[in-house]
Amino acid sequence: MAYFKDTEQFYSILVPFFNDLINNPEIGPKVLASGLIIKFIYHNPEAVIIVHCPNSEIIQGDREEIKPDVIMSMNSDVAHRFWLGKVNLMAALTKGDIRAKGPIPKIMKLIPIIKGAYAIYKDYLKEKGFEELVNVE
Amino acid sequence: MPLPEYFQFQCRTKVIFGAGTIKELPNEIKILGSKRAFIVTDKVVRNLDFFKKIEDILKSSKVELVGIFDEVPVNSDIEVCNKGYKIAQKRESDILIAVGGGSVIDTAKAMNILVSEGGDLMEDHQGAYLLEGPLKNLIAIPTTAGTGSEVTFTAVIRDSSQKLKISFISPYIFPNTAILDPEVTISCPPELTASTGMDALSHAVESIHSLQNESITDALALHAIKLISENLWEVVYNGENINTRGNMLIAANIAGLAFTNALVGCVHAMAHALGGYYDIPHGIANSILLPYGMEYNLDYCNRYALVAKAFGINIEGLTDKEASRKAIDVVLKLTKDCSMPQKLREVGVKEEGLNKIAEISMYDGSMLNNPREATVEEIEELLRKAY
Repeated sequence: MAYFKDTEQFYSILVPFFNDLINNPEIGPKVLASGLIIKFIYHNPEAVIIVHCPNSEIIQGDREEIKPDVIMSMNSDVAHRFWLGKVNLMAALTKGDIRAKGPIPKIMKLIPIIKGAYAIYKDYLKEKGFEELVNVE
Repeated sequence: MPLPEYFQFQCRTKVIFGAGTIKELPNEIKILGSKRAFIVTDKVVRNLDFFKKIEDILKSSKVELVGIFDEVPVNSDIEVCNKGYKIAQKRESDILIAVGGGSVIDTAKAMNILVSEGGDLMEDHQGAYLLEGPLKNLIAIPTTAGTGSEVTFTAVIRDSSQKLKISFISPYIFPNTAILDPEVTISCPPELTASTGMDALSHAVESIHSLQNESITDALALHAIKLISENLWEVVYNGENINTRGNMLIAANIAGLAFTNALVGCVHAMAHALGGYYDIPHGIANSILLPYGMEYNLDYCNRYALVAKAFGINIEGLTDKEASRKAIDVVLKLTKDCSMPQKLREVGVKEEGLNKIAEISMYDGSMLNNPREATVEEIEELLRKAY
């Protein structure tokens, strides 16, 4: 069974979390400085979130007029586990758990920057009353 | 030995081994259902005796040799792939034959993506798991025993316009067939034989300490280490020996299979950074850094005793750490015995650039698989020790 019951719940958790991240004084400025436009395509449940660094904006849903630098697609469960710090991005890319279109090295540059986000995500889930989503394998 | 709860191991390549097996090439092309072969190589390889032999073998068969692209440089580039693709496409080839080292084989892999799918490498294909189905046929004939690229499902090509290494990752990138003919590697000079052999050793050792290690990759990596320990010194100083050449080809091949599945760690992360920043040959960078990387990981990895054992060291009665130290010592000794450079300063690295190399290394995906979670300060310190 998927961790998120539907797209609405997924968006209600991930979009505010992404907004918190870009506003986080430790993480936000470094992520935004990358200048990247990253489109995340999620499956089961279906969702699209665009991290638009040049505009300092998190966009819910697809916007065809926006040309991303990198597209990353994955199961929503993989995304959840990633933000809990349980997914090794390089291993996920080589095993096909995450598909990536675009310059992988530019994404890799963000990994040391967002390391602090894993703990933030756990606290965020607890704060929002989604404790059951914290302790997943 | 504890088992991982889950792992997957991929290999789609048929491997043929044996002295003189390049004569099998027409038959293998036929088995794959192809008729119009296009060779991808470099200018050095093209001038070697065995290359003429390959041409003759093809010309005397029913396979039509429709073209040869010999413009692959030591570190290939996207533009080279595009140029090769256009020629192969124009000649209507239905199979690519890569004859060369890692750069040639990776170029042929990238060309094969274009020959099969069309489009633009940078716009449409760079990334992971973008291919939806099998590509056209590709046979790889490695002329060095090092990269193992003939059995890996990635291609890494430099984009000189951005000074970036571009990755293509997909199980469909695996060559259909790899022909390991030790006669082909006879002409490989001692320095290149040593550095490519140490590259293979670093693939094997890093597979063992990678966080993604598993039982199949362990088996392959440990046997690769055994073969390298028994043959590398000999092959560097007696390159004519077909048996040692053959053992090294197999070692590089199975180390390639190991690391394409288990991935690599901090040694490769630093070697990639040194390659990009100072153009240090990959095998030489790995050779210098491997013992330092193992030392760095020593308190975080309890698997180097396996490496010591594979080297044939009697570890009976030793603690895990004592056995691990023996492994580090024997790697260091092998690099000395093969007359490899020992320090980064010997190969043109500047002390003032170490901080930058450490910083770049931290962004490398390989760092994510290292058993010790690294900091930029620690990696800089490691590099200073290796300097």
